[in-house]
Amino acid sequence: MNGELEPTAEAIQRRQFIKATAMAAATAVAGGTNFTLPVLADEPAAGVQWEKAPCRFCGTGCHVQVGVQEGKVVAVAGDRNAEVNKGLLCVKGYHVGSALYGKDRLTRPLLRDGDRYREISWEEAIKTIADRIEAAPERFAFYGSGQWTIPEGYAAQKFMKGGLSNNHIDPNARLCMASAVTGFLATYGVDEPAGCYDDLDECDVLIMWGNNPAEMHPVLFSRVIDRRSRGEKVTLIDIGTRRTRTTDACQHYLEMKGHGDLAIANGIAHLLIKNGTYDRRFVESFCNFKASDDENPNLHGKAISFDDYRKSLEPYTPEHVEELSGVPADQIRMLGDLFGNPKLKITSLWCMGMNQHTRGTAVNSLVHGVHLLSGHFGTPGNAPTSLTGQPSACGTVREVGTLAHALPGGRVVANDEHRHQSEEFWNVPTGRINAIPGYHTVKMWESFCTPTDKGGDIGTIWVQVTNPGQTLPNLNKLFNPKGDSKAGLEDKFLIVSDVYPTATTRLADLILPSAMWVEKNGVVGNSERRTQQWFKMVDPPGDARDDCWQTIAVAHELFNRGMAGMKDRDGQFLFDVKDKNARSVPVWDWEHYYDVNVDEQLFEEYRQFSRLKHKDLAPYSEYVKARGLRWPVVEIDGQWQETHFRFSEGFDPYVEPGKEIQFYHSSTHDDRAQIWFHPWIAPAEVPDDDYPFMLCTGRVLEHWHSGSMTRRIPELSRAMPGGYLEIHAADAAAHDLRNGDKVKIESRRGSLVIPVWINGRGQPPRGTVFIPFFDETLLVNDLTLDAVDPFSKQPDYKKSAVRIRKV
Amino acid sequence: MSNSNKARTTPLIAFVLVSFAIAGYFTGLQAPMNASTSSSPRSVELREKKSMVTFEVGVIPATPYMEMPDATSARRGQTRLASLKSTIDPLAEITIAPGDKPAALHQRKQNRAFNGAPPTIPHPIDQRSDNACVACHSEGAKTKSLRIPRMSHAFLANCTQCHVETNPRHMTAFEFRENDFAGLKAPTAGPRAFNEAPPQIPHSTWMRSDCMSCHGYAGRQGIRTTHPWRKNCQQCHAPSASMDQTLLAVEPQFLPGPEILSDPEIKE
Repeated sequence: MNGELEPTAEAIQRRQFIKATAMAAATAVAGGTNFTLPVLADEPAAGVQWEKAPCRFCGTGCHVQVGVQEGKVVAVAGDRNAEVNKGLLCVKGYHVGSALYGKDRLTRPLLRDGDRYREISWEEAIKTIADRIEAAPERFAFYGSGQWTIPEGYAAQKFMKGGLSNNHIDPNARLCMASAVTGFLATYGVDEPAGCYDDLDECDVLIMWGNNPAEMHPVLFSRVIDRRSRGEKVTLIDIGTRRTRTTDACQHYLEMKGHGDLAIANGIAHLLIKNGTYDRRFVESFCNFKASDDENPNLHGKAISFDDYRKSLEPYTPEHVEELSGVPADQIRMLGDLFGNPKLKITSLWCMGMNQHTRGTAVNSLVHGVHLLSGHFGTPGNAPTSLTGQPSACGTVREVGTLAHALPGGRVVANDEHRHQSEEFWNVPTGRINAIPGYHTVKMWESFCTPTDKGGDIGTIWVQVTNPGQTLPNLNKLFNPKGDSKAGLEDKFLIVSDVYPTATTRLADLILPSAMWVEKNGVVGNSERRTQQWFKMVDPPGDARDDCWQTIAVAHELFNRGMAGMKDRDGQFLFDVKDKNARSVPVWDWEHYYDVNVDEQLFEEYRQFSRLKHKDLAPYSEYVKARGLRWPVVEIDGQWQETHFRFSEGFDPYVEPGKEIQFYHSSTHDDRAQIWFHPWIAPAEVPDDDYPFMLCTGRVLEHWHSGSMTRRIPELSRAMPGGYLEIHAADAAAHDLRNGDKVKIESRRGSLVIPVWINGRGQPPRGTVFIPFFDETLLVNDLTLDAVDPFSKQPDYKKSAVRIRKV
Repeated sequence: MSNSNKARTTPLIAFVLVSFAIAGYFTGLQAPMNASTSSSPRSVELREKKSMVTFEVGVIPATPYMEMPDATSARRGQTRLASLKSTIDPLAEITIAPGDKPAALHQRKQNRAFNGAPPTIPHPIDQRSDNACVACHSEGAKTKSLRIPRMSHAFLANCTQCHVETNPRHMTAFEFRENDFAGLKAPTAGPRAFNEAPPQIPHSTWMRSDCMSCHGYAGRQGIRTTHPWRKNCQQCHAPSASMDQTLLAVEPQFLPGPEILSDPEIKE
């Protein structure tokens, strides 16, 4: 116990520490990473204190300066010292401070009592959860997200896999970027992009594959189009299924049908080989060829020769690609010529279009393949880069591995050696970690919504930092049955930790009020491998508490009850946290949670995993000073150096001298990446006579994902008040629809009544309609399909057949 | 004779026509921005009362013939050519009454969440190109009935990245979830070293680099400069390196002063 520090004294000491390190850095050489970036100086007159934090919202990872006055966040400024955003933010980022102060913040634990809720104490809440777990640990599941901070995700991961021997832990990121992961693994043998945002400053051509960064990653998009304002020449190409704000800024718009991307990528590869413009030297030096193994489907497929590869691509002539994708053959030739030009620097960006795809792994691999085949890889401006939508989809889900099959550091539960390694690091008995992967998201919720006597073997789900009641596909199958008294699910129990009431808390049995963003310490990792840290700046409202504390408190309750899994080999509690005098701190007691920096201790413990797959993280204190660092962060001559471009000599410290490009985690163990062939395959559901429209779903600039935070921010909510259906003017006319008319839209899975917006934010082509998913009262996921990619298990939210009629 | 008559009347007729066209154009331009015209109440009637969100067609509703006389007289005040003229008189002396500044700051607060937040857009927009906003906001203007602030920062192409509509045309909402966020207030004045010293700039100049955007002719009365002809603002008004985030992470160093021996040491 370490009672000598009052929270305020701690804050003062922290600020003094930051200032002291700034002084110490005065002698350091600028440009190294041992360099403290200043925060805004306090304004004593106004009583405002400023500190740095990454933005709460998307995966871009902008840094903000947060102004705190009298214990409340009162202002936010773009951080000019942050390389990601260089002082700019988007409208969500500027208003992120308001996200804390919605009037209906959850402030007390609530236990369901019939149709209503009863306020209970935290003690009772923790006991209730422990009762559920103790009764049936194997029927318990933890559902988290890419908004879990690294320490939160790590604690949940250790609690489940290292404590309960239970692998039923999966994140909402399964719905978001699982196919990007499998694409990277299949191609390079290791996850996450080789390039970084610097590519956006260098590229001559930027290709956006089913991506609308003007609205979803506006700061990154502006970084490119502002180059044009300065007189630089950048060619922007939008390959999409509807016109968006991104299209407005692009020179070329290639309008494709769903799954057209598979054909387009093959069409480019076909042309590169036919025209002899592929990069022969790059391919011969650094690449192998792969195709899917249909007899034994697996992520690493089977090896094929270049000749097999060439033959497989033969049918994908520009004309055939036009038939499959709807993109004119001339535009396919244009792409072929661009990739065939070694002088151009080409960066590809993608996000949900390629990931929410029943062939997501395939299309991700194909786009990597086009870059590898043409040699547009490994130099600044030449990169295939996937973007993420959540602040720590990379840092927590992908690196800490909060997935049903994974362990921290890119390890998997199915591998004996990997399990033993984790057991060593965690100091838990051999055999503690279960070798069988748990349920992925769709399977987890399907099992939860299936009666126990019919094989639904998940009995309790604890949801943290996400809103599955709005964001799961096919809600009528995967979530809504929980609220149906006739569904036979009386014994199922849903626990939800959140900051506001949501579509998920609607059906929760136990609701826990959480602290958010700068109400707690945090570490996250963005889309470009950048790990970012912040300190708690204000107190959470009422009885709201950190998610990480909630996990540790439940673990300790189980420890007290004698559950063997909550002890390590020495009989110590799994989350034994020590103060600087090596005395255990009772962090499970909220009064003492901030006596020490739990985040720092968990991060340092986790850090040893990061070195297993060359994703090395620096010590916590380095991130305190920086505006994030891109891994691998390696100490060279006493300086912690980040890595801009992976696998590339001169940038990546793990590439051996003279190798030029080295894929040192190659799945073929020969330092080569895999260029894949995958055929075009039709979407899981295509329009027919009964359901003649293709429904696409997505996001808007003003709202972040399910809108539970942004719809409580007046400026954002006023700008984009509610959900709507976008439809082509000609289709609207054919259905006698005018702006504001309501339509009933139906799929095979559900229906929705929603107003129409013609020529609105986006413009779908004929035959396609679009609905954003931010509106909790117009749940488009009542309609979507729950078919998943065979490898990533990620569903496709972009292609569901629907019909509409005016009401 | 008749020929010369025609020659004289043609420019006159042309002038009248062009004047009406201009007046008509500006009438249209103002209509959606001004609650006092008759078109706005009309559009409210179109909405369903109970529904939280309703749509409007993206055009200004036509004024019914019955209401034409009222509408015309309501508009007359703003559509005379005299009122459309720029009110900028570079030679006029600028005096600021004591009450002007709080009023200006209060107005300024209406479309921003906190001091430093990007202002929201008080009129409908339809951004389809980089230049849509720049058309009016690159120079700014001020007429008797309209104030068009100039961009306070260098040209950035993606305006709607930061600035969003207050009342989007496609959907008017009446209900929002309540929020208790109390934004940082704007400073009321910059600190002065002494009574007559030029005040220092009390806010960040990052993204607010064009002082004349707020303090120039098109600025609100009360925060306008009294000397707009002086162009080099930072000659006299010092910005803050801290607020501008331009501080290097290096503490400034100073030479030590001469070391003075104390009395006892001298005696020894």
